[in-house]
Amino acid sequence: MAQITRRKFLIASGWVAGGVTALVALRHRAVAVAPTIIFPDGESGATWVQIRPDGACQMFFPRIDMGQNANTGLAQIVAEELNLSIEDIQGVQPNTSQVPPLAVTAGSMSLTAFSRPMAIAAATLREQLRGLAAVHLGAPLSSILDAVGGFRTAEGQSLSYAALVNETSLVIEFDDTKSAPALYTFDSNRIKQQVGHSKTPLGTRGLVTGEPVYAADVPVAGVLFGRAIQPPVRTARMASIDTTGVAAVAGLVALVQTDDFVGVVCKTPSAVDAAMAEIEVTWDLEQPINQAEIDRLVDVDAEMAVGDLEQVLLDQSHRKTVDWAIDLRFDVQVQTHAAQEPRAAIAYFKDAGEGGHQLQIWTGTQDPWAIKRFAAMDTSLSEEDIIVYPMRLGGGFGGREHYEVERDAVRLARTVQRPVKVQWTRQDEFTASRNRPASAHRLRINCDEAGNLSDWWHGYVTGHVILARDRLPGWLLPVARLGEDMGVVKGALSPYEAPHQRVEFKDVDLPIDLGVWRSLNAAPAIFAIESAMDELAIQQGLEPVDFKLAQMGDQHPRLQHCLARVRALSLNATLPEGSGYGRGFACGIYDNRCFVAISADVQVDTATQAIRVHRLCCVQDVGMPINPGQLRAQIESNLTWSLGMALFERLEVGDNRIKSTNFDNYRIPRMADMPSVDIEIVDQPSIPPAGAGEVALIAGPPAIANAIRNATGFRALKLPISAADITAGLRGDRQVPVN
Amino acid sequence: MKLKVNGVERPVAAAWQNESLLSVLREQLGLTGARLSCGIGQCGACVVHVNGQPVASCVLPVSEAAGTEILTIEGLAREDASLHPLQQAWLDAAVPQCGYCQSGQIMQALALLQRIPDPDDAQITQAMNGNLCRCGTYDRIRTSIKSAALVMRETR
Ligand code: FES
Ligand code: FES
Repeated sequence: MAQITRRKFLIASGWVAGGVTALVALRHRAVAVAPTIIFPDGESGATWVQIRPDGACQMFFPRIDMGQNANTGLAQIVAEELNLSIEDIQGVQPNTSQVPPLAVTAGSMSLTAFSRPMAIAAATLREQLRGLAAVHLGAPLSSILDAVGGFRTAEGQSLSYAALVNETSLVIEFDDTKSAPALYTFDSNRIKQQVGHSKTPLGTRGLVTGEPVYAADVPVAGVLFGRAIQPPVRTARMASIDTTGVAAVAGLVALVQTDDFVGVVCKTPSAVDAAMAEIEVTWDLEQPINQAEIDRLVDVDAEMAVGDLEQVLLDQSHRKTVDWAIDLRFDVQVQTHAAQEPRAAIAYFKDAGEGGHQLQIWTGTQDPWAIKRFAAMDTSLSEEDIIVYPMRLGGGFGGREHYEVERDAVRLARTVQRPVKVQWTRQDEFTASRNRPASAHRLRINCDEAGNLSDWWHGYVTGHVILARDRLPGWLLPVARLGEDMGVVKGALSPYEAPHQRVEFKDVDLPIDLGVWRSLNAAPAIFAIESAMDELAIQQGLEPVDFKLAQMGDQHPRLQHCLARVRALSLNATLPEGSGYGRGFACGIYDNRCFVAISADVQVDTATQAIRVHRLCCVQDVGMPINPGQLRAQIESNLTWSLGMALFERLEVGDNRIKSTNFDNYRIPRMADMPSVDIEIVDQPSIPPAGAGEVALIAGPPAIANAIRNATGFRALKLPISAADITAGLRGDRQVPVN
Repeated sequence: MKLKVNGVERPVAAAWQNESLLSVLREQLGLTGARLSCGIGQCGACVVHVNGQPVASCVLPVSEAAGTEILTIEGLAREDASLHPLQQAWLDAAVPQCGYCQSGQIMQALALLQRIPDPDDAQITQAMNGNLCRCGTYDRIRTSIKSAALVMRETR
């Protein structure tokens, strides 16, 4: 980074002149979640840690807060390197005009990508300070020992950071081509004080006292309220708009209507509701929106009957004609994010004099710099005239990356030239969410005489994920689709060994909007894989856990460990006697570096077939735990999502619209659904941390399905599993393999 | 019209008298701790106390709240700014993930403990089941209610 840019960056990003600062680049390429891909340029992703002249430690937070609390983990790393406590660290979260673009916060990449550079920055700073201490005390460098908040010598001299940096003003840059100083964070022999401890996330106090932290909380003087009509799918075009009744609504400020947009601005929220209720839109659709159409599009058997699927992920001496021991089809339905916060944004076109404008946007988004860029394209303002203030997200889960509620606020605010707040309704959230696609999986497995896997054939058809329509600019989409959709292939390769294997897939457009949802394709694919393996083990008269452990070979010791441990954990409680109780297991690998195994204890009511999950055990290994308490929180969250995915969540579509509208007709897990939970985190002090935000969800649903199989003999072939499915399955109305 | 919120009388502008209590609290009185999520009384994110009862402020017309005593999350901390035992328990257990539902959870929990100082698991579930948390913090909510209940009984 050139001198001048560096200065500008530092000062803009909340840095205070003086003291000692270490600058380091976070060389993190954006996760491929276009359209918002901003490939960081040379100066992007710069971050810094500073000991200020008053001795306080400040750092620059590179992540957006939405519940995974990555910044807290990074602050723990900084504290560890500097022999401070996390309470001593002050974080600065900049807006988009202050710093070069940071990559989108997504894909649970934050700790994976940033923990090391952050540690390097802080350690570099520490060693610089040690050098100063040596000069100050006139002692050799090697005699300067660490102390809390400073240094000491064996002779009893001590020096705090505050005393050291008092007169100093120094900015050091670390280039990761040079050798890094000793990193305490990754030293497995060190007894750590910060890293590896469960620290309460920064900002938690404000969340329990109700401080304004989300976009809709921001007080902006003179703000008006607005909303726009959301289409049932983004390819829909407005065929007709009737706004007759709008003008009569008391409190109306403006009706804003263009070819592809209709919205209102009012003086109060209830006036917005009243005005919106007066707008009638009919839509031209490219495809009908209904479940039958979705089912038809992902019909894997129809596709495989025609020939090979479009994309082949793995082909290893595949044999097509085999007497399959397992030949099952699994279907997973559309699910949506349903974050508790309906997205909100406030936009304000401020007169900047001489006919110019400055646009301010407050919004909770996973990708503030993309919002800035899209707002510039939308308004023809230059990016320099736009500031996005990133606010905390009331839940992201992959669903908050796009220029959407911001678009509504910007367009309405431009018309009225006053600040406008837009918060989507819950129905808007259901209607316009970019959902996890439906998918269908055909799993065929066979064994040799010794009972080991010989043949594995997994074909699946799914809606697009990362390369979904309208996630990318139209011109880019066909080009991008020449490559593989990274979301669609997640989790598709099994951890099991077989000499003959083929994994193939096809990804398609569905009549609804699709996108990134927690764990992407991994949870659906692993549901299919783990269910099929469970069934095969039962068929062979083997314990599913033994069978799976054996079939992994020696390729996945970390996964084997998790699975063996979770079985041990599950045995801490005995299943009640009597029919209706069952226990199931599942495991999986996420992103090649996260390992998880789960056991589920369920009870299926023998009369009604109502399903109750009593207990979930989870063993997870994502490398070094930076903050075990938060790692555990993410597991708890994923286990809760597992209940929803396994047992009740399905976005209802039909009559050319999204029929799920609110929490009364899209059921998410509640307190009464919660089982008891037993969690074990595998400590890997020498393996760098990986994100845990979406890991346990891959194994939860198949563990529950396998437990139901164990309890009843019913093999769930589709998610969500309902009592009615079990009743029908056990009656033989549907073909299920029961021993 | 006036509203008495957290012990203080606040005027409500004429143009806002047909709004929900939630809208007035958030947009007129600057009390943004109660939050909008479902808007139909189905999630609990907007729970405040009206005359000591937990209510979904998103569906309560502000006119019906006039003349009542309203308590919001902002009114919980003590005058010396120390936290209410429930808030402290929430902080100690690091309950919030995204945090959006948590003001409503705490207000609902407070109503429970005012009614039943020592609730058992079934009573906690019954009281809290309408408060949704997409992040899945239910276990920690339960634990924190129990630890706060203990503190509140001891300091009574
Ligand atoms: S927002 Fe009021 S109950 Fe959901
Ligand atoms: S903490 Fe996110 S919804 Fe409850």
